[in-house]
Amino acid sequence: MELHILEHSLKVASIEKEGIQICTHGLIKLAFLASKTRCKFFSLTETPEDYTIIVDEEGFKELPQSEHISVADATWLALNVVSGGGSASSSQPIGVTKIAKSVIAPLADHNISVFMLSTYQTDFILVRERDLPMVTHTLSSEFTLFRVVNGETVAAHNLGVTNGFVKPKLVPRPIIHPLSSPSNMFCVTSLDPDTLPSVATLLMDVMFYSGGPKEPGASGEDSTHIRFFSFSLIEGYISLVMDEQTAQRFPNNVLFTSASGELWKMVRIGGQPLGFDECGIVAQISEPLATADIPAYYISTFKFDHALVPEENIQSVIVALRTKSTAQ
Amino acid sequence: MSGSKPDILWSPHHPDRYVICDSELGLYRIGPIGSAEAKPGSLPLSEETAATLLAINSDTPYMKCVAWYPKQEPECLLAVGQANGRVVLTSLGQSHTSTCKELVGKEFVPKHARQCNTLAWNPVDSNLLAAGLDKHRADFSVLIWDISSKLAAESSAAAEKIRLPPTDVDSGSTVTKPLYEIGQNDACLSLCWLLRDPKLLLAGMHRNLAIFDLRNTSQKTFVNTKAIQGVTVDPHFHDRVASFFEGQVAIWDLRKFEKPVLTLTEQPKPLTKVAWCPTRTGLLATLTRDSNIIRLYDMQHTPTPIGDETEPTIIERSVKPCESQIGSFAWHPSSQNRMVVVSAANRVMTDFTVFERISLAWSSTTSLMWACGRHLYDCVEEAVEGAVEKDIATKMRERAQSRYGHDTLQVWRNHLLAGGSDPQLKSLCAEDLELKLPGNKQSLVYSGIKNIVKSSSGTTESRRCWIGSDRQTDVPRYHSEERSLALRLCGWVSRGSDIDVETFLRSLEQEQEWERAAAIALFNLDIRRAIQILNKGAMTDRGDLNLNVVAMALSGYTDEKSSLWREMCSSLRLQLKNPYLCIMFAFLTSEPGAYDGVLYESSVAVRDRVAFACMFLSDAQLPRYIEKLTGEMKDAGNLEGILLTGLTKDGVDLMESYVDITGDVQTASFCMLKGSPGEVLKDPRVQCWIENYRNLLDAWRFWHKRAEFDILRGKLDPSSKPLAQVFVSCNFCGKSISYSGSALPHQGRGFSQYGVSGSPTKSKVTSCPGCRKPLPRCALCLMNMGTPVSNCPGTGKSEEKADLTRENKLAKFNNWFTWCHNCRHGGHAGHMLSWFRDHTECPVSACTCKCMQLDTTGNLVPSDSS
Repeated sequence: MELHILEHSLKVASIEKEGIQICTHGLIKLAFLASKTRCKFFSLTETPEDYTIIVDEEGFKELPQSEHISVADATWLALNVVSGGGSASSSQPIGVTKIAKSVIAPLADHNISVFMLSTYQTDFILVRERDLPMVTHTLSSEFTLFRVVNGETVAAHNLGVTNGFVKPKLVPRPIIHPLSSPSNMFCVTSLDPDTLPSVATLLMDVMFYSGGPKEPGASGEDSTHIRFFSFSLIEGYISLVMDEQTAQRFPNNVLFTSASGELWKMVRIGGQPLGFDECGIVAQISEPLATADIPAYYISTFKFDHALVPEENIQSVIVALRTKSTAQ
Repeated sequence: MSGSKPDILWSPHHPDRYVICDSELGLYRIGPIGSAEAKPGSLPLSEETAATLLAINSDTPYMKCVAWYPKQEPECLLAVGQANGRVVLTSLGQSHTSTCKELVGKEFVPKHARQCNTLAWNPVDSNLLAAGLDKHRADFSVLIWDISSKLAAESSAAAEKIRLPPTDVDSGSTVTKPLYEIGQNDACLSLCWLLRDPKLLLAGMHRNLAIFDLRNTSQKTFVNTKAIQGVTVDPHFHDRVASFFEGQVAIWDLRKFEKPVLTLTEQPKPLTKVAWCPTRTGLLATLTRDSNIIRLYDMQHTPTPIGDETEPTIIERSVKPCESQIGSFAWHPSSQNRMVVVSAANRVMTDFTVFERISLAWSSTTSLMWACGRHLYDCVEEAVEGAVEKDIATKMRERAQSRYGHDTLQVWRNHLLAGGSDPQLKSLCAEDLELKLPGNKQSLVYSGIKNIVKSSSGTTESRRCWIGSDRQTDVPRYHSEERSLALRLCGWVSRGSDIDVETFLRSLEQEQEWERAAAIALFNLDIRRAIQILNKGAMTDRGDLNLNVVAMALSGYTDEKSSLWREMCSSLRLQLKNPYLCIMFAFLTSEPGAYDGVLYESSVAVRDRVAFACMFLSDAQLPRYIEKLTGEMKDAGNLEGILLTGLTKDGVDLMESYVDITGDVQTASFCMLKGSPGEVLKDPRVQCWIENYRNLLDAWRFWHKRAEFDILRGKLDPSSKPLAQVFVSCNFCGKSISYSGSALPHQGRGFSQYGVSGSPTKSKVTSCPGCRKPLPRCALCLMNMGTPVSNCPGTGKSEEKADLTRENKLAKFNNWFTWCHNCRHGGHAGHMLSWFRDHTECPVSACTCKCMQLDTTGNLVPSDSS
């Protein structure tokens, strides 16, 4: 297995819902006019609380400074796991489940905080730049490490610092944060970048005007219905996460759908904002899922984490996680 | 390809059909423009060809890539890759055989939708269709479909609980289970099957190029690189692959896959297509975005595999098939260097043939070869008499055969050796007539009239009477020692201090140069003699009677300024054909000191004009005139000018322009050797001519001539003698055997000293002169090798030189020492030569050395006779 350390230096920011209008110019430019910026990594996730933006340094320049925007002080690097051979059988679970044991658990054992971003194409594991020596040290045994420099992949040498590292504590990881599962179902999908202009207005509507007057009423009908939308444009690839109702607003044949047409249910982690320093949260969720062989997407936001699991597996997920949380 | 960017595909089997795909597929047939098929709908592609639209297919929206089925049948089957990753088989045209019907409309659907970037049919197992897709976190990016799979997919699809969206349930023509899946969690941007093994697939993945082997899909050979787009195998070198990234093309050798063997110069705009020419080796065409040129890279002369050290030679050029911006192009599969180009907008097509570079080479013997594409043309000089001037190579060869340049005693004879038809050569050879001059003047001879005149002093002016008349002329004549030397160089007066032109006139009469003789007589103020010469000329057989008329006109000479004679002569003289007659009247009718009519009559020999100038121009005018004339001669490369420049630096300049015009290094070499003041010979140009002439002689296999030339050169230019390259030393004492016990330093002129004298009167020395031990034996006659006791120390060298010029050489070649550098066996040269006429191996028993074959030139025969 190969682990690629991508060259993007990422910032994670949160924009308050009230403050979104001052940022729309920059966000629209980043999302729809990629050729006008030098940004290569952009992700926008809307949750009921806020908008979470993950963007590289070039893209960050497009955002204004405002009291509505809070930025996590660290710079983050994205890691990407590439399976070396093509040997994996098609039945292998996908998403964070696949890398739960090999990446997420070891990082949690070494007290490295991670920030997950799953997309249609792949999973990105964001780690703080200052943790990089620790990360390479931790993962060099399991992976061939590569660094991407100017688009070329070069072998990354192990930074070789071994002194002063905390001995990993191999303790069981109970789930400590409250979980909730909203009732609506989600699609993870993508679209052809060439067709992006044709659905741009629709996407803008979904992104910025979803909190319109109708919506509170609609959500009032079903209190467990959650407002969640994610858009990312990373190295030219578009990935979308939206609920079923939103997906139906798109014209036919624009969104890429799996042959199986699968739908996903969400597990939302955290009752209080989780912050960035606590480690092991992803591991708490992904390990039981990996044990149960359930594929999952995992999207971290500024305040909470979100795991997406196949609709038909939701019961077994709940069982698995509940066992885990009660096992303590 | 979506919307704006079109692409072209040639039919793999019909040389006249191609498909253009943009938003739809259009099948075209290309044909000659004037043919009966030229219907109103035909589109002209070039001056000779036009295309007809045969069919359109717009069944497949969201086209991303297209690939043409490689087999003959079904002929017009295309695979179309769509934006959602589906691959659809479709067809164009009418011929729907049953197999075709079965296949058309078949869809291959990946598990997770994403763009299909590329398609590639396996060239051997044509059921296999590889599709390269974008990245998906849980799916493979390279899917290899089996188009013949019997749609049994439904059952397996059910097993995998695939819920097809309602729109897809239409038919059983959907295949969802690929034969092979490769490249999990990666993106594939380009694909091609390797020609060296149809089980190998080369894929441009996200950030690396990978070779997958279908026999073991878990293994891959890969190299990390950015250049992952448009991978394509050279159809002529199956290990050579091109790929690109933005503006840069990388060429790979699959046997040395770690890094590109070369990268081509980066283009400012991103590339859109890179294609090897299928009809010519090593020609790569590239196209960048928004461009109206196609750049061609010729790697014909790039050695494969390319070493690390050698700088590969790539010839880059660009062609402009049409004015508008090019959308795409495609090489014709069989027609040489031909391509069809489609414009970026409006589907304007152009049929275009890339003109092959022409490479050209002269041989050392006149013939000229040039190559263009697959054709080789040979241009040989035909032996037609007198039609055109012969090529300089032929001339030089003939002259070398006739020993041109070697007659150093009678230099003028060289002109006859050269064939006697070139006036410039004639003048050159005549110039060097031996002039026995007292002491210090000798050095002036070769420095040219220009320098002689410059140093002129003590000029006296005189007015003389016309000879045979007591009328006083008003023509001033100038005399000085330098001027008379110049006159002698020009040939007007022979030796002796007296200025007597009569000898020269007689020799001219003998050669029947009547006009010239008359003119020279006139310039010596002897009208009577001039008239007499003209009369004589008119009276000879084949004589020109007009000369009499001229003589009559001449006899009417009057020095009266305003006479009718003067007036008529000065205007009518221009109608005279012969330049000498013309200048005669020019002289008579011009004012003293203003002789432009004579001096600038370019068809008059330079020597005559110069001599004239020396007689009639003042000290102020003369150097100016000479200077000007010298400049003219230099620019024209006229050898007559050597008279003026002499064999000086100026002479080399003049010779340079002569060589530039004619290529006659032979004359240049001989001429400069003869002159040989040291500085001239050291001039790099002179050395270059001499070396080139020697090489030329070698190339003609005129080895004896080369040797003669070297001897001549050694005589005239002692510094050119090569140092001895071979010494024979005694096995026992280590001393050279060439001198009897002497420690004299000795140079050059080697071999004859080692030989055994052919003359019986000379004693043989078969032992080392130093230690008296016997010399080695000849491997054939088993006699000891011997050396003559010819050289008494002190006198040896000069004697020997003199001997060589004569026939009786000290040692016959047959008696020379010779040995093989490889096995070190040897003997008498004559014995060795006769042995190797019948044998290939060394004469020493048990030695298997093939001595003679090691000598590459040993089997060549000289083509000149010594």
